[in-house]
Amino acid sequence: MQVFKTYLKILKKHLHVASIYVIAFLLTGFAMTFMDDSASLFEQTRLKICVLDLDNTPESRALCDLISKQHDIREMPADEDAMLDALYYERINYALTIGKGYAEKLAAGETDGLFENRFLHDSYSTAYMEQFLNEYVCTVRAYLAGGAASADAAAQACASFETETAVRVVKSGPENTSDMSLAAALFFRYLPYLFISVLMNVLCPVLHAVNKKDIRFRTDCSGVRPLRYTAAIFGGTGVFVAGIWVIFVAAAIPMNGGLYHGTAWIAVLNSLVFTLFSASVTLLVSGFDPPSNLVNMITQMISLGMCFICGVFVDQNMLGENVLAAARFLPAYWYIRVNRMMEGSDAFDGALALRAIAIEAAFAAVLALLTVLVRKSRSRSASA
Amino acid sequence: MNNPVVKIENLVKRYGDLVALDHFSLEIREGEIFGLLGPNGSGKTTTINCLLSLLSYDKGDIAVFGQKMTPSSYDIKKEIGVIMQNVAVFDELNVYENIDYFCGLYIRDKAQRRQYVDEAVQFVGLEDFLKFRPKKLSGGLLRRLNIACGIAHKPKLIILDEPTVAVDPQSRNRILEGIQTLNRNGATVIYTSHYMEEVEQICTRIAIMDKGRKIAEGTKDELKRMIRNTETVTIEVLELDEAVRAEIAALPHVYETVFDGKTLTVCCSGGKHNLIRILGVLQAHAVSFGRVYSELPTLNDVFLEITGTALRDKEE
Amino acid sequence: MFLHCLIYELKTCLRAKDLIIWLLLFPIVLGTLFKVAFGSLYEKNTLFRTIPAAVVEQSAESMLRTAADAVSEGENPLLSVTYTDEATALEMLEQKEIKGILYAGDTVTLTVGGSGIQESMLRAFAEQYNRYESVIRSTAQQNPQKLPQVMAALSGEVSASSRISLTEGNPDPFIQYFYNLIAMVAMFGAVTGLHIVSDYQANMSALGARRCCSPVRRAVSLSAAMTGSCLAQSVCMITCVSFLAFLLRIDFGSRLPLVYAAAILGGWTGVAIGFCIGAATRFSSNVKTGITMVFSMACCFLSGLMIGNIKAVIAEKAPWFNQINPVAVISDSFYCLNLYSDYRRFCVKILTMLIMTVVCTVIGIILSGRKQYASI
Repeated sequence: MQVFKTYLKILKKHLHVASIYVIAFLLTGFAMTFMDDSASLFEQTRLKICVLDLDNTPESRALCDLISKQHDIREMPADEDAMLDALYYERINYALTIGKGYAEKLAAGETDGLFENRFLHDSYSTAYMEQFLNEYVCTVRAYLAGGAASADAAAQACASFETETAVRVVKSGPENTSDMSLAAALFFRYLPYLFISVLMNVLCPVLHAVNKKDIRFRTDCSGVRPLRYTAAIFGGTGVFVAGIWVIFVAAAIPMNGGLYHGTAWIAVLNSLVFTLFSASVTLLVSGFDPPSNLVNMITQMISLGMCFICGVFVDQNMLGENVLAAARFLPAYWYIRVNRMMEGSDAFDGALALRAIAIEAAFAAVLALLTVLVRKSRSRSASA
Repeated sequence: MNNPVVKIENLVKRYGDLVALDHFSLEIREGEIFGLLGPNGSGKTTTINCLLSLLSYDKGDIAVFGQKMTPSSYDIKKEIGVIMQNVAVFDELNVYENIDYFCGLYIRDKAQRRQYVDEAVQFVGLEDFLKFRPKKLSGGLLRRLNIACGIAHKPKLIILDEPTVAVDPQSRNRILEGIQTLNRNGATVIYTSHYMEEVEQICTRIAIMDKGRKIAEGTKDELKRMIRNTETVTIEVLELDEAVRAEIAALPHVYETVFDGKTLTVCCSGGKHNLIRILGVLQAHAVSFGRVYSELPTLNDVFLEITGTALRDKEE
Repeated sequence: MFLHCLIYELKTCLRAKDLIIWLLLFPIVLGTLFKVAFGSLYEKNTLFRTIPAAVVEQSAESMLRTAADAVSEGENPLLSVTYTDEATALEMLEQKEIKGILYAGDTVTLTVGGSGIQESMLRAFAEQYNRYESVIRSTAQQNPQKLPQVMAALSGEVSASSRISLTEGNPDPFIQYFYNLIAMVAMFGAVTGLHIVSDYQANMSALGARRCCSPVRRAVSLSAAMTGSCLAQSVCMITCVSFLAFLLRIDFGSRLPLVYAAAILGGWTGVAIGFCIGAATRFSSNVKTGITMVFSMACCFLSGLMIGNIKAVIAEKAPWFNQINPVAVISDSFYCLNLYSDYRRFCVKILTMLIMTVVCTVIGIILSGRKQYASI
């Protein structure tokens, strides 16, 4: 009990440093949630297109109107560098320039080189838009060949693009059956990164103080059994970790639009188990007593590495089969599997969710056991 | 020749409400081994840090070699060697490299530096440990390395702040002898300690500090003359009647007697043959006694009489 | 004197192995993981590949076969079509072997398995077919004599848009994660920079106190320490870029020497920032480390280390921020080198880094200048 109390006292002394990290990573979490549009990035059917109309005739404006119906027109300065940036970061998918003399050439039946495409790479977007423009030109040409006047042909062509093909969707993906709002689910998605970062950065200096060689030797000389000592450290860490977990989970309540209910509690349980895992990682790493200026580097290596491989930052759908196969051996993968149900990306499957959470718990338990072993072996070694 | 090497006037240093130095003045002359003696927390290290311009202070003037000491008094700093209370060496560098690095901050000429470093190594007796990293050194050797780093450049003024803390007697004697050698070679030495024996052993002049004030200053003998006590006689006695004790107390020159059931302590002030007279009284009453000591006053007695508390009581 | 201090600074730096090892290990481990995670994303998700589809012929009169064959020819065609019956087609759709099923009846209808750009392109193809057919049908009814011209107009080869390539660099957007990784390693130089301050301030360490007592000018000893740290950081940056470029075969464009230069300069900026933070703040070293780490991670985050398009969002909403966020500046310099053929923007980034480095160093030296401490 004495060790436990003292440990909490030391933790209290580190609260100011802890609050720096908690606030910083909480803000990061909010920012991630609100800035995130990666979920829709590769699911889009409406492209973001910037159009530069140098011709500015009824014909060219008719084309612009048609494009704006099917896609989103983005205003852009007529600057190649800006277009390159926008294309690269996928703020736009296609940069179209309608050349001067477009209407005249079209009326004369010329089709080649009517448009300029500021080109970055052979993406689907490029192929899609080039296909569309060629079709449009062909259609106008056909109406012209059918005897229509230039302006009529353009209007008729536009009208013909309004017809829709009957499309049947076999599998539309799962319906969003989760009881959690998308914003809260997105925030929860980033919790693995946030928890590992916060816990490692906050707890390692504290554990460093407790693990100091002299203090450890002195404690070893006392009547306290090593196992009890480790248990007290685990207990104290548990109290602290629970506090941080409550802060983060409570912070997501407003995003959820009210208290969690129904299946959302599974997400909460998921995050709790992952927190336990984060805590065991922290205890394990601190068992090796890393120097304070390296803690963050090690933290980022573990948290960023695991989060990228397991689909925290990049959607699991986008990652290759092999990557996901390897990721199965990391708890963040299972965390994300559950969270995807909350986001509505996967159908809800209670049994799978519970199994995934159990796997995370198993990881936490194994690491905790490892920690005990490391502590035991290191307490005897003369070095360190 | 007796220019003051260090002159501190009316130095005041506060840490919040705590007054660490209270109008402290000091003058150290060339060629002295000056001892700054006082219990822990009396302000010795604060004085040294102010003197070195590491600490800011609230009031007062500090001059070294006749010039005002400021953080950028590089010419003065060149002539000072500092050995701090805490060991300040690189864990990553070995013994030789550590001394070479610190010496190099003062001595530009390479050949001269090499010679100085070798001399410093010999001086502290670390010849056999040149390639050792500090972590591999024992406490005493580490202290010696700490000293070598401070004195390798042959400074004119050497400041040692409790250099013998946590050092075994053998290493301690070696260090003390070394300080005296340095002094003989022309260096002025400022030495702080709470070990009276050390200060008594090597210092030519001593200032006693308590609670941020200087309470006495002078040579060893001057200090001892300041107090009443000239001799303390301690006798192991098994039984002692109050009457006998009173008789001893009434002897000439005796000003205090204490009997705690086992030993009788008699403090004398001046006079000769005090011990014989006291033993005479005991013999006359047929009091049997065991061991007998007669001690001349120590600095502890000085401290005790001036402050009313023993120096040792304040040790940690 | 500068040289003396520098030599020993390097000696201690190299022997304090922990930091160097981790600074070297960090990009190697994370770089490898990034490579594993992102290596095939660009080709798999961004670059156009022929869309597999099935055609189920329900009417003998349909000309869909002609149209479908027309777009299935040539190099990297739009579609690769399998002709089959409905049950097999649905089975293929289920197995994700095809993206959609085109039913050739009176008009073409489409069945797809999801909603994505490939499905949209299939839909566009189906609509095109239906449109062409209606144009032909209406012409045949109203103007049969013009039918050959209309047919010719519809079927002729067209390339309405000409491509103007914006860059000769590597357009893979996932490379930016590696840019940010290098920038993060550069920012970890801040740890070294922070170290300088505590080693040279009397109130931070016993060594600092001893150094303060020496007659070496503060500016000299500090710049020697800075130089030493920058050199050590340069080694880390060179290893980092070499590992990414040669072992992981990340394509940084055609100007690799300049990538090295930018990375090294970025590392110096990191060291200078850490030095500046250390000198400007008055906290315990734990808090200082905390502030430095939070600062650098925030910069990394806002530069898109975790979520790639944040930088673009900021570029739209607050473009000035990307000009002063050191991580963004460092990673942008690689980006500019890769994508822009002229050096203007690259030079701006390099200049920004230089200014940051100099300003931070000067502020640091001034703030940690010869001073006395209220308490040690």
